Amino acid sequence: MTNEQKQTLMRERAAALMKDGAVSYVIGWRETRFPGKTAIFFVRDEKDADMLVWDEYTIPLTAKYLTENRWPDKKIGIFARGCDSKAINRLISDNQVERENLYIIGLPCEGKKDDRCLSCTQRDPLIYDELLWEPENATGTSETDLQRARFFRAEEVESLPTDARFAHWEDVYARCIRCYACRNVCPVCTCRECYVDMHRTGFQGKHHDAAENRVFGVTRAFHVGDRCIECGECERVCPMGLPILGQTQKIIKTIEGLAGTYEAGMDPEADSFLGKFDLDDKDTFM
Amino acid sequence: MAVDYEPKIIAFCCNWCTYTGADLAGLNRMKYPENVRVVRVPCSGRVNPQFILRAFRRGADGVMVCGCHPGDCHYSTGNYFTRRRFMLMRELLEFNGIDPRRFHARWISGSEAAKFRDTVTEVTQLIRSLGK
Amino acid sequence: MTQKLLLKSALPAALTALLADHAVFAPTGEAERHAFTCLSSAEASETADAVNLDGLTTISPKEILFPRSETLYGIGLENGEISTPEPTGPTVIFGVRPCDVRSIANLDCSFLEKGFVDTAYVQRRENLTIIALACKELQSPACFCDSMGGGPASAEGADIMLTETADGKAFLVSFLTAKGEAIEKLWETASVLTEPNSADTAPPPPVCTLKVDKPQDLPAKLMAAFDDPAWERLSESCLGCGTCSYICPTCYCFDIDTEISGGKAEQLRCWDCCMFSDYSRMAGGHDPRPTKKERLRNRFLHKLAYFDERHGRTLCVGCGRCIAKCPSGVDIAHVIEWGGTL
Repeated sequence: MTNEQKQTLMRERAAALMKDGAVSYVIGWRETRFPGKTAIFFVRDEKDADMLVWDEYTIPLTAKYLTENRWPDKKIGIFARGCDSKAINRLISDNQVERENLYIIGLPCEGKKDDRCLSCTQRDPLIYDELLWEPENATGTSETDLQRARFFRAEEVESLPTDARFAHWEDVYARCIRCYACRNVCPVCTCRECYVDMHRTGFQGKHHDAAENRVFGVTRAFHVGDRCIECGECERVCPMGLPILGQTQKIIKTIEGLAGTYEAGMDPEADSFLGKFDLDDKDTFM
Repeated sequence: MAVDYEPKIIAFCCNWCTYTGADLAGLNRMKYPENVRVVRVPCSGRVNPQFILRAFRRGADGVMVCGCHPGDCHYSTGNYFTRRRFMLMRELLEFNGIDPRRFHARWISGSEAAKFRDTVTEVTQLIRSLGK
Repeated sequence: MTQKLLLKSALPAALTALLADHAVFAPTGEAERHAFTCLSSAEASETADAVNLDGLTTISPKEILFPRSETLYGIGLENGEISTPEPTGPTVIFGVRPCDVRSIANLDCSFLEKGFVDTAYVQRRENLTIIALACKELQSPACFCDSMGGGPASAEGADIMLTETADGKAFLVSFLTAKGEAIEKLWETASVLTEPNSADTAPPPPVCTLKVDKPQDLPAKLMAAFDDPAWERLSESCLGCGTCSYICPTCYCFDIDTEISGGKAEQLRCWDCCMFSDYSRMAGGHDPRPTKKERLRNRFLHKLAYFDERHGRTLCVGCGRCIAKCPSGVDIAHVIEWGGTL
């Protein structure tokens, strides 16, 4: 099936849902001024549906926009690819959204024109009310299909000696402008009030320098690391093009080393790694 | 490195075990390096990773988190969460180019005054040798 | 006004001459690293490698006048001694695009006009000489400076204007102000200028492909549309991040923060952004702009209406950075166009 055919299906389905009054709106994608860039779009009535797009650039994650309406009057319709569905699972298990408030239209994804899609482990949606077309690969992309190592970004840094690692992050955080786009786009970053916005508490100064930015960067990574669904949105939105996905990849890699295979968002019932414990956890603390 | 360099070390100590252990060390007139500044917390599970980062940012040369031995937590399970959290945190600090020898987590009970003294002495010496 | 010729091969010598008694900022780096940096003498003499005059920098040069973080004063915790930062000396920004030059006039409005003069800003501003560079080609498909009253070859606000010649080997240089003429003398002494001959002409400036129809009465129209439901639509994809404000050449909001470390308390002025949740929150916790809709509306109304009302200028120069960099497709040109249809 071509992208145009898929796009037509999406438009028809969204229009039908709006006509039936089954949902209050449907979250999808629209074009922007630039070819190769799409944006999130809310279908609010039947006519809007014709603005929906589906092509190799429909990259932004839809799931984060669910947190803006936690108590909807009617169900929220949402288009979800593999990554969106992992995010939805995470939002459900974090009690951020309720499953019965969602109408999920699953879209098996063919992989987008984005670097970060090369290490995608889950193209097909995991959770949905209906699937709009058949997946090309019924089990999702298997590990062997990975076009790039899952933790590629972390491994780039790991290979450096300690001082060079420090210098690497010093360079990254010296360029960071602390616009917080990485925080705001992250589907598992769901605090209603971020510690950063409570700056009189002394956790995070407003000072823009590498040290202060580094505190933000590491804290952000730690806050979301064990729930990170590895979508790479944080890197996509960064206006300075900083390779920050490595931080959360490193956390997931460490979790795998401590507790075996781990992938957040695969199951809406699953707790996050730091939200539970095991009596037999290993430690080196003496 | 100056010979008389004295590192600043922040130790977050659980109220029920390590803080009591430190108190006992005092009662027994044990001596330990004054480089350590003890911050009492209700449980080692209270220690937010942010505290560690903030301490380093504000110029601490080393940070310690000390709590009850696994199984002994006053709140039953607090230190199990601590254990996971700081095993992860230490790796992340190392990944960020911060020498893992500057961050320590230890289990010290209320009766282990000598262990508190020895740990603090050992960590201070280690960090002094690392320099600023 | 005389026009001189500055050969590109003489650029290292010209920059080195400036460095003798100025701090010189010029665009360096590629892609996201493309930014105005303070040149060292080594970088100035290797201009061909270090200075990158192609395209628009990722971050605007406003931080030279209005730094991301600046210490206003410090107090020693032990002795109570008050220290103030060293004043900056003569500074030159080299190779600023016309849109960014116009944005400095906007900063002047907020920091120098209406009966208040910011001491830190005025000190840097008076010491600043602006060497502008006309656009020979369109910098980005998001550029719309000619719709906002400027233009790719506009010399408004510049002390010296450089225009690349058609053959790309030299710049035609116009010295427009007294500050510019001081540099002319410096360059004459260093003999880096030559006389242009009839073949050294500038090609016609490019025309922006993004055309925005900005009506004369836009401020009034937008303010009348304060409660328009369309703001919901305009803001729906917004993430509420600060990308647009921080890369914008004209945004000037700041917050004052105190930092205590190293035996010293410092009062810092740091960039702030109206899209953040703590920006408009009041002491009791009430926030008159509780969601992104109100915040985005305020940002655009400030740019297109409030500032115009107060200073008679639009707080947007059409550099297009926010349109190109917004991760969620929010577009100020759409807002202007929508305002025109009201």
